[in-house]
Order: sequence, then structure tokens, then C-alpha cells
Amino acid sequence: MEQLWAAPDALTVRAVYEQVSTTRDLAYTTVMTVLDRLAKKKLTERERDGKAWRYRAAAPREEMAADLMRDALDRAGDRREALVRFVDQVSDEEAALLREALARLEEREG
Amino acid sequence: MITPVLLAVLALALAGPVPALLARSDWPYRVPRAAVALWQAIALAAVLAALGAGIALSYSTAGQPGEPRFDPSSPRDLLAAAILAMTALVVLRLLWATGKVAVGTRARRKRHRDLVDVLATPDGLIPGLRVLAEETPLAYCLPALRGHRVVVSVGALDRLDDTELKAVLAHEQAHLRARHDLVLEAFTALHAAFPRWVRSEVALEQARTLVELLADDDARRRSGPRPLARALVALAGSPAPEAGLAAAKSSTVLRVQRLADPEPGNTALAAGTYTAAALLLVLPTFTVAAPIVKAIVNAVS
Repeated sequence: MEQLWAAPDALTVRAVYEQVSTTRDLAYTTVMTVLDRLAKKKLTERERDGKAWRYRAAAPREEMAADLMRDALDRAGDRREALVRFVDQVSDEEAALLREALARLEEREG
Repeated sequence: MITPVLLAVLALALAGPVPALLARSDWPYRVPRAAVALWQAIALAAVLAALGAGIALSYSTAGQPGEPRFDPSSPRDLLAAAILAMTALVVLRLLWATGKVAVGTRARRKRHRDLVDVLATPDGLIPGLRVLAEETPLAYCLPALRGHRVVVSVGALDRLDDTELKAVLAHEQAHLRARHDLVLEAFTALHAAFPRWVRSEVALEQARTLVELLADDDARRRSGPRPLARALVALAGSPAPEAGLAAAKSSTVLRVQRLADPEPGNTALAAGTYTAAALLLVLPTFTVAAPIVKAIVNAVS
């Protein structure tokens, strides 16, 4: 994915494989499978170029990250049920109450 | 004629005043597991009672047992059929809402998981953990039958020490293990099935709070109350300008105050709550079933 984000144009599987294999020991078919799977998930787009497929990222990294963060921070609407958050942010007023309760706990535990 | 009225009254009570009253009480927070069961019983009993009222009303309108033939020229029979059709419509709407919520939630979750998998780095501390390079403190889980994820942002890691992080992860794993998301999904579906002007947020909000308490209790048993309370304060108290604050009073204060108190555990209260839940389910079921069974027995003999 990093290679696709970095490249200005769509890349063939061969090109991605050549870049990836400089740092990691991966088989050509593995790269092909991963790219195919990413395309099915609509994270990459691909076009025919002769016999080969050329892949490009479906959106810039920043855009995908923003998309993810929208999901993660949404607290109303129907995105909300998709993930279960540890805790939501609270107001200043509530933060004071929180610190008070924590102080009580620390004191009790000694 | 008395059965439909009773059932309708029960349905209305379970839809409005009972949840409102229960949501204002503090005791359910001491027995979160039993309280979840009670809320589920209330919701289910309300639906059953409403459907039962429809069936019973149509039945008593249609005439006496022993003349079960449908007569299209009789207005009484037509009315009965109309009431029955309305009841069926409510059932369909419930099923539709359940399906829609289930499909929609899964699709959004899958999309989110795909994004997490390309954007975040795996971490071997617990299965499915992904670390996201974001400054905003975040910790959440994506439940799934297979391939769940626990996502923690770098911003969150910066604010937590090792024991606190362990407490957060224990909390999320408790959610994943107990499939709390399915509990919430049922309440969401019920909420979505009813038109805006009759439904209330109370049951769904309470269910959300109670499953958080359940996960807190689990994490507390594993790592003690202090790291968890500290983690809650560290992650909740940090400023997040992009978030719409004060939208709803959060349950966070309740959760930390609860950790500051000695561990709750009230067997009698839990038993009482479970009994109430069971009774709630048995009562409307029997009132609906009794006349139908009687009619069948009459028809056969």
C-alpha cells in the first residue's frame, strides 16, 4: 500500500514486487494476491494495461486516515454502533469530577 | 375484552414510565449483568405485550369461539382482520429494522477494519491489536465473529503507562469476548423500528452504560481499579477540539466514581433483578397464550 501511495502513477504488480522485495522477502504471487485483495476491498483501483493490471490507491493516505477518524470520532448518527469506544471525551466540568473521584480512589488505595 | 386492555396498558407502561423510572435509579449500576437482563426483558415484554394486545383485540372482536368462520360482510370481522394486519405490520417492521441494523453495522465495521488494516501497524501484545499513528487519544474495538480488532492511537499510548494500557486492553477484550455489541445491536434495532415520536433513547443509552460497566468490572478484576480509573481519566480528560462535546452527559463520571467505591457485589439484588426480568417475560406470554390455547382446546374437543 505504501508503494502505491508513494507512486504518482498506477503500478503493475511487477513494479510493486520489485520495490517491496528490496526490503522484504516476499513472493511475486503474494504481492499479486495482496493487491487483488485490496482491490476487492475497494482500497485500490486497477485498470488493464495489456496483459497486466495496473494498481493505484483508491484515495491518498490522508484521505483514508480522515475517513477512519470520522468513523472513530463520530458519536451520533449510525456510525456510532460500528465500534465500541473505551471512553468518550468529557467536558471540563466533568473532567473535574473525574479527577476528584480518582483522587478519592488513590487515597483509599494508599 | 379485558385481556387486550391489560396487555395494552402493560405495553405502554413498559415503553414509557418503567424505563424512565429505572433509568433514574442508581441500583442497576450495582448489578450491571442482571440490569442488562432486566432491560432486555422489559424491551421484549413490551413488544410481546403490544403484539399480544393486537392479537387478543382482534380475537375478541371477531366473535365467540365456536364460530370461527371469517365473514367478509360482517364489519366486526373486517375490523378484527384490520387489527390483525396492523399487528403483523409491526412484526414486519421490527424484523426489517433488525436486518437493516445488522447489515448496516457489519458493512460499516468491515469497511472500517479494512481501513485500519492498511493504515495501522499490528502489535503482538494482544490478538488483533493495531496501533494508529494519530495524535488524538483513541481506544476502541471492532467486534466480529472472526478477525476482531482493538485499535489504540499513538496519542493514547503516550498518555498511558503499562498497567493503564493493560487495563484498557482488558476492558476492550471483555467487550469482544462477551459480544456486548450484539446486546447493543438489539436495542439499536428496537430503537430504529419505532417512529421518532414514540421511541425514547433511554433503553439504548442505559444498555450502552451498563455494558461499559460490565467491561470495567472485568478489567478491574484483572488489573485492579486504579490503573483503569487512571486510564479513563487520562483518555477522557484530554482536550479533543474536533469532538462535539457536551452533546450528552457521559457515563464516564459514573464509571470512575464506581471504581473509587469498593467493588459492588450484591447477590440478593442481582437475584431480585433476574426474577423481575423472568416475571416480565412470563406474564404477557401467558396472557396471550392462554386464550389461544383455550380456543384450540375448545375447537378440538
